[in-house]
Order: sequence, then structure tokens, then C-alpha cells
Amino acid sequence: MGEADGAIEAVGLTKRYGSVTAVDDLSFNVRAGTVTGFLGPNGAGKTTTLRMVLGLARPTAGHATVVGRRYADLDDPARMVGANLEVAGAHPGRSGRNHLRALAAMAGLPRSRTEEVLRLVEMDKAADRRVGKYSMGMRQRLGLAATLLGDPQVLVLDEPANGLDPQGIRWLRDFLRAMAAEGRTVLVSSHVLAEVAQTVDDVVVIHRGRMVRQGSVSELTMGGSVRVRTPAPDRLLAALDSAGLSVTRQDGDVLLVNAEDSARIGDLAHSAGVPLHELTPVSTSLEEVFLELTSDTGGIA
Amino acid sequence: MTHLLAGELLKVRTTRTAFGFAIAALLLSLATVLIVSLAGGGPETIRDKRAAIAFGSVISAVLLIYGVVGATGEFRHRTLAPAVLIAPDRYRLVIARMLAYGLTAGFAAAAIGAVVYLIGIPLLAGTSGPDLGGGDYLGVAVGGILASVLCAVLGVAIGTLVRNQVGAVVGLLVWIFVMEPLLSIPNANLTDYTIGTGAGVLGQGGNVDGTMAHAFVVLAAWTTLLSLAAVLLDRRRDVE
Repeated sequence: MGEADGAIEAVGLTKRYGSVTAVDDLSFNVRAGTVTGFLGPNGAGKTTTLRMVLGLARPTAGHATVVGRRYADLDDPARMVGANLEVAGAHPGRSGRNHLRALAAMAGLPRSRTEEVLRLVEMDKAADRRVGKYSMGMRQRLGLAATLLGDPQVLVLDEPANGLDPQGIRWLRDFLRAMAAEGRTVLVSSHVLAEVAQTVDDVVVIHRGRMVRQGSVSELTMGGSVRVRTPAPDRLLAALDSAGLSVTRQDGDVLLVNAEDSARIGDLAHSAGVPLHELTPVSTSLEEVFLELTSDTGGIA
Repeated sequence: MTHLLAGELLKVRTTRTAFGFAIAALLLSLATVLIVSLAGGGPETIRDKRAAIAFGSVISAVLLIYGVVGATGEFRHRTLAPAVLIAPDRYRLVIARMLAYGLTAGFAAAAIGAVVYLIGIPLLAGTSGPDLGGGDYLGVAVGGILASVLCAVLGVAIGTLVRNQVGAVVGLLVWIFVMEPLLSIPNANLTDYTIGTGAGVLGQGGNVDGTMAHAFVVLAAWTTLLSLAAVLLDRRRDVE
């Protein structure tokens, strides 16, 4: 596997439970060294997909690889992949420190590593309390600490912002940025785009178990429009139309041109001798793209 | 496997579950030795005197449930996924858990046995009839520890198979205390091959219902069979 290849690759992943298809022929690729948002509304099949990627669920069809191998075939998975799939995942009667110590022991990691990751997620002071007494945010941090035990290069985080307060979400963003800055590959799922939009490089958007879009954030937000205001809208409309551009006429003297290149529109207006009073690129936000792709009327490719 | 076993042992040690079951098993054993030794003038036969100190037959049921609760707790508290992510082939994980619970049960049984002997030997010394010999004490101790170890492992196997904690515990109790005795209706010899009889006889180091070797084979066969089923079935299941 070369550097440009995917750190995580899913090919035709399908999961059926009886007559219900939770994940349907899903293929995607997570580039090494990037933070990729795995997005979709609740019930889209994100967790099921991640469970198949991590070997916790058997695909009905298709397969997935992590750093080029099936998860179950990894020699030392804890040192290669860190995953946090469930909010709890710890016995409520056990302290956070002992939970991590047990996992560290199972992975053959030194006990000192437990203290390192507790400090990393700022949980060292609460580590001796029982997990049952933890807030949701503390459980999330404990889960993140568990993912980091083996100091893996690939992190898979399922809805890590669930239950976090605004301070916790800010902390999570900083945490993800820090992981990315260290060159790790992070696949983070979420149904709330705002939680990850500022952090991710790429996104994989699924809806009803099917892929609707994969690409970089800039690719997804491209394809915006240009707002043009002119005292001669009819003449400009004809000029743009003859150039093959799709134009929507708005309030009186305002046109919305379905194009990204405002300079070209300016040139066309100049060639047609049409004065312009406004020429403003209107970009599409990632949130708008996400909502459009995952609406029941939109987007499934 | 060593790492997995170390982790599972740490998990056993770091909740109150094991401690609670150990206390329950100790209290039941002490109650048995005190009641049998002191009630009605005390035991007068070798059989009754062995029954008084047969901690294994008392605690094996407790340790069986302990194994069930421990294994089903992994599903109940969703602690299985983090462990499977470390040992994705799964079978090593189940075997490590069985070993951890077996070792814990063996250690607990030895400690409880020591306390029972400490109290029981002086009490039995004051009773009438023939005294227990060294072979009796050794047989009860070995049988009690073996029954405890096998029952805890068997409990983990049953818990892994059933997964639902309440269902597994209730189902197991109904099976041992209701269904197994009913097997004597079609054929009285069938109960010689049940879990309940195997644990009870082995826990006493053998008695009039069977020899220790026979009871060991019966209980070991159940444990091996259900453990194999648990390992094979667990590998085929998705982790919730």
C-alpha cells in the first residue's frame, strides 16, 4: 500500500438484517493522514458501517480494510487502530483508571501508558471515580483515552461529540486538530455537521445506508453561484444564456448565475456592454450541501 | 494469551462482583458447616461429616452463577467491543475469560475451604462416631476446588451463549433445580449425568451418589461441550 492509498477502504459493504438493509453497497476511501468526517443523519448506517470496518459485524457482502488488511488480520490492532464505538463501553462499577489498565494489560501495553492517556484527555483527576458516576462528557473522554492507549496512527471515532456540552465540543475539536497535526488518520462519524465541519479535510456522506457523496470539503462546497446586479438585466441574461450559463432572475435587477467563475461573468458583461453594480460569488456552505444530500428528496447518487 | 488473561484477571479484581460472590459463598459454607455440625447433636457418620465440610458442593452453584453474571455483564455493560478490538479473533478472548474466572474461582474455593476446615475440624472432633481421615479431608478439598473451577468456567460458557443476564441466571436455576431432577422420571440413572449432580458429588469429593472421578468426568464434559459451543458461536456473532 502506498502513501496515497487509503488508510481505510470499504468496498461494496452491505449489511442486511432480515429484510432490512442497513448498509447498501457502500464503498469509500479514507486518505492516510487526513481527518475524514463520516456524515449522515441518525439511522443512516454510520455505526453499522464502522462496526463492519472494525470487524465487529460481519458484512453481508463486500469487505473493508484498515491499513491494507482486514481488521481481524492485523497483527497488533491496538497499536495500529484506535476505535471508540460506544459511549459507555466500561463497567459502571470499575474506575476509569482500572478500565484503561485492563485494556492496556490486554494489549500488552505498559501501565504507565494509562497515566499518559488520562493526562492527554484531561481525566487524570477523575480517574479513580467509578465510571457509573461519570458524566456523558467524561465517558466520551474515557473512550477517547482508550482509543489512544496503543498510540495508533488510525483513529475511528463514532459520534464522539454526543452528549458533550459546548466546552466539550470545543475540546473535541482541539483534540481532533491535535491528532491531525500529528499526522494521524482520523475517521469521525457524526450526524451533526457543525461538530466536525471546522476540523475535517474530507467527508463521506451517507443516507439510508447508501453513499451520497465523498470528497474534500472544498470539492463539496464548490459549485456555488454568482449574484449579479445590473441596470440592464435583460441584456445580461441574453448574453449569459448565449454563453450557456444557467441563470435565475431574482428581484428585478438581480440575477443568480449558476457558475463559480465571477471573472468570466464580468468579462461576458463587459463584452455585451452591460454595466454591473454588483458581482458577488455566493458559496454553498457544507451544511447546506449536507442537508441537501441527506434530505429525503435529495441527493442519493 | 498471557496479556489477555492478565487483562481479564484485572477486570475481575476491579469490580465488587467477585468480592460479593466470594462473600456469599463463604457465608453459605460457614452456615452449612455450623448447622450440620451443631444441629441435632452433630453428624455421626463419615458421610454426614464429609457433607458438613463439603464447601465445594455449596459454593459451586454460587460460582456457576458468578461465571454467568461475569460473562453476561460483558454484553450488558457493552464492554465486549473494546476487548474484541484488541483481540479480534475472539476465541482467545473467550478462553482468557474462562481461564480468569476459573483461576479466580479456584483461589476463592481454596480460601473458603481453608476457613471451613479451620472451623469445621474442631467442631467435628467433638462429635460421636468415626472420625474423618486425611483422605476424606483431601478428597473434599480437591473435589471442592475442582467443582468450583469447572462451575465458574461453565458459567462463563453459558453466559457467553445466552448473553442476557437475567435470562441466563433464571434459565440456569430452572434447569438445575427443576428440569434436571425431572430427568429421573423416565430413567433414574439420567441424573447421574447432569450438571447439578456432577457439581454436587464432585464438590463433596465423591459420595454415595457417585465417585469423584465419575462426577469430574460428567462436569468436565458439560464444561468442555458448552465452552466449545460458546467459543464457536461467539466467533460467528456480531458484537453489539
